[in-house]
Amino acid sequence: MGLEPEPLFQAWSYFRRRKFRQCSDLCSQLLEGPHGEQEPDSEYSVFQAAWSLKTRALTEMVYVDEIDMDQEEIAEMVLDENAIAQVARPGTSLKLPGTSQGGGPSPAVRPVTQSGRPITGFVRPSTQSGRPGTMEQAINTPLTARPITSASGRYIRLGTASMITNPDGPFINLSRLNLAKYAQKPKLAKALFEYIFHHENDIKNALHLAALATEHAQFKDWWWKVQIGKCYYRLGLYREAEKQFKSALKQQDMVDTILYLAKVYLRMDQPVTALNLFKQGLDRFPGEVTLICGIARIHEEMNNISSAAEYYKDVLKQDNTHVEAIACIGSNHFYSDQPEIALRFYRRLLQMGVYNCQLFNNLGLCCFYAQQYDMTLSSFERALFLAENEEETADVWYNLGHVAVGIGDLNLAYQCFKLTLVNNNDYAEAYNNLAVLEMRKGHIEQARALLQTASSLAPHMYEPHFNFAVLSEKVGDLQRSYTAAQKSEEAFPGHVDTQQLIKQLKQHFAML
Amino acid sequence: CFWKNQFPRAVEQSPELPALERKNWLIYLLYVRRDYEECKALIKEQLQESHGLCEYAVYVQALIFRLEGKIQESLELFQTCSILNPRSTDNLKQVARSLFLLGKHKAAIEVYNEAAKLDEKDWEISHNLGVCYMYLKHFNKARDQLNNALELSRHDLTYMMLGKIHLLEGEMDKAIEVYKKAVEFSPENADLLTTLGLLYLQLGDYQKAFEHLGNALTYNPGNYKATLAAGSMMQAHGDFDVALSKYRVVASTVPESPPLWNNIGMCFFGKKKYIAAISCLKRANYLAPFDWKILYNLGLVHLTMQQYASAFHFLSAAINFQPKMGELYMLLAVALTNLEDIENAKRSYEQAVALDKCNPLVNLNYAVLLYNQGDKKGALSQYQEMEKKVNALKESSTLDFDPEMVEVAQKMGAALQVGESLVWTKASKESKSKQKAALPGKSSSTQQSLGSNQALGQAMSSAAGYGKTMQLPSGTSLLLLFKV
Repeated sequence: MGLEPEPLFQAWSYFRRRKFRQCSDLCSQLLEGPHGEQEPDSEYSVFQAAWSLKTRALTEMVYVDEIDMDQEEIAEMVLDENAIAQVARPGTSLKLPGTSQGGGPSPAVRPVTQSGRPITGFVRPSTQSGRPGTMEQAINTPLTARPITSASGRYIRLGTASMITNPDGPFINLSRLNLAKYAQKPKLAKALFEYIFHHENDIKNALHLAALATEHAQFKDWWWKVQIGKCYYRLGLYREAEKQFKSALKQQDMVDTILYLAKVYLRMDQPVTALNLFKQGLDRFPGEVTLICGIARIHEEMNNISSAAEYYKDVLKQDNTHVEAIACIGSNHFYSDQPEIALRFYRRLLQMGVYNCQLFNNLGLCCFYAQQYDMTLSSFERALFLAENEEETADVWYNLGHVAVGIGDLNLAYQCFKLTLVNNNDYAEAYNNLAVLEMRKGHIEQARALLQTASSLAPHMYEPHFNFAVLSEKVGDLQRSYTAAQKSEEAFPGHVDTQQLIKQLKQHFAML
Repeated sequence: CFWKNQFPRAVEQSPELPALERKNWLIYLLYVRRDYEECKALIKEQLQESHGLCEYAVYVQALIFRLEGKIQESLELFQTCSILNPRSTDNLKQVARSLFLLGKHKAAIEVYNEAAKLDEKDWEISHNLGVCYMYLKHFNKARDQLNNALELSRHDLTYMMLGKIHLLEGEMDKAIEVYKKAVEFSPENADLLTTLGLLYLQLGDYQKAFEHLGNALTYNPGNYKATLAAGSMMQAHGDFDVALSKYRVVASTVPESPPLWNNIGMCFFGKKKYIAAISCLKRANYLAPFDWKILYNLGLVHLTMQQYASAFHFLSAAINFQPKMGELYMLLAVALTNLEDIENAKRSYEQAVALDKCNPLVNLNYAVLLYNQGDKKGALSQYQEMEKKVNALKESSTLDFDPEMVEVAQKMGAALQVGESLVWTKASKESKSKQKAALPGKSSSTQQSLGSNQALGQAMSSAAGYGKTMQLPSGTSLLLLFKV
């Protein structure tokens, strides 16, 4: 063997190449070895270097960017009252769905998640799509991109993830740490803070350390201010967090800080302030993709789809491989009668090497509606092949059912929707479409039962309500028809057929 | 209506208990002013005072419940009413009405019959009995009851129901008679006028249809059905711009109506704006995936655009939804011919000829195909078949033939050496101005170019179906989310 590289150098090199596992193991060896020979005169010893390196390696293994980590839990959605205005003017709040001014596609064209909020093209961890009104509603409905938890469930999961990777217990015992001592040494403190915050997920200790450190830095380090702000934000102290971020921005213009501050404003339900902030940020950093993307997201949240699309296009001008922008513009084109253009956007994603079930499913749909029949079914096949769980399989089968309806093969469509339900028993759209097919066969009772299931599973969809209303009206059961029609109107106030039906029913009730 | 004679009667029936009924006038006043909240409060007070014995308060409470859509509660209250005052026909009628609204038609009929025993000269009872029988599909009884109601007192609604029953039984001319009488009786009812117009449209009597629809539109300019029907008539006569301007009026109020987008698409098709036509039709198809007319039109436009694969796709979908139509098979065969699947094209033509009874185009196109395949004998027999149909059509109606079709037929006749005695030459001269949806055929002198089966079918435009059941929309198509 030639020259054996020095272990610390080797570990450092591993860290730079993002081989965290090896780096951490090597550091462990270093730490376990005798460290009596450290020079007492130097401020930082080899031991400390290894310790710090291991902290960083462990942190990086589970690191998730705090900006994208935004998950409101049931308690925060329902019980927390951070917004100042309870009844805000339309267009100035995120909590009022259905205040669309942008003239996006209506629910008759584009599916909605909760009443009035059309499904977006790209699911982020912070996608909210409407809020439940009461605790009961919140428990009964799925809302976010991930399964919802009662309080900060995901943060806890991140924290515990590290326990599994370390069979001999946690690396640092936080309760035995003298934070005041570490706060004196900024080089150690930063790494330790990140470890506590991201790996251990112990906000209180992290805040304690940050407070001591910023004091030591005489409040002149914006980084510590941002970290304190992050801690406050996690703890739910939004006003305090805002103060910290603002003071950090005064010291140093950073995109990160702007994004954090905007997050705070959004949580306080002040989208217009957030928009202004983003625009100021764009003056400082012209053409910054994350800022433009943030603006687009806010517009999308406020149901202003057309201006959201404008901003997403700006994003693409800067960065033409931005997955979120491409997906959002693609889905927007698909739902506004331009499947060909949507197809081009999704093919762009395919060219970029994205390879998953959703993409192929979208490609299949776009191909079918853009009349590119040669690529339709093969895309769907691949989507089925790539599906990772049963929900995804169900989605693909559901869309295949639509294709089957499109070619007029109702038996195939029936089987597809059945398969959807086999894969995902809570698929309200499939129940509704099955009911329509049953109706066409003349099986009224089955259709009724299916529609009832659909409307109880997804009360925000107008189709099952409306179909049930029409069905009941046909049989003569005007009472049920009226209740269902009212629900349908609630879900989609602009639906003309529902309005006509209600008018007709009211005439029946008033007559004679 | 019900409240006209309600208040005085209540007073005279229970004069011995003035305390109970003393605020009836106020309840009545609040009710007819639609001040339901006040009214309910007063009723509550009144019922507490009278320990629930005030019949009129219960009655009005039930009426309010019914207006709010709570039929079950209103039924219970009306039953209380009829217990309080069993001799009253009104109470019985209201009980029966509530039963009817709940969909319990048999029970409603029984109660109505009881009410009829108490009062034989009431048109409402007969009318409602008729409607109940209609729901139970006893059409004969229903018709008798409705006629009885008309004799007692004439009402628009009764006419409407009677017409509906005739339509359900498939007697178009009787239905027209009924609606005619109804329009004479109340000439300003836009619904009646529209329905009559649509019926005439179905019979092909455009003059009268136009008259009635125009009347309907003068009384109610925003009437969606009448606009659609009038527009589709204009389209049939080639006034595409006028029809488009009509549609523009309703498009803002009914932005998601499949028939509307279908008709708009066919307007563009008529104006030779094929891309616009396709995008309108595809929107219509997205909104109503089960509508065969839209699929038919999409197939037709794609044939015109010479996109035969798409045309085949839409036409075969249309055939799946409407298998009993000759023209669809013919168009499918045209698409198949261009996709070079002659065997299936022939089979499709066979099916078309078997299903179709009066459209000469089917036979002509088949003849062209057979001729191009070298089967002169088969072509001749199809040509003769077509001549038969043409003769029959000439005798039966004033339908004029598409000039392009005539041209092709003449060439075909010449090619087959039978074309001396062309039957429609006169007719074709008159119809020169008529431009129907046909392929812009290449002017050709040789028989070879006949192969592009020129004259296609007519565009379908749907006038909002009146007799048909409401189309159920399916769930909108779900585009999957893109996850990180």
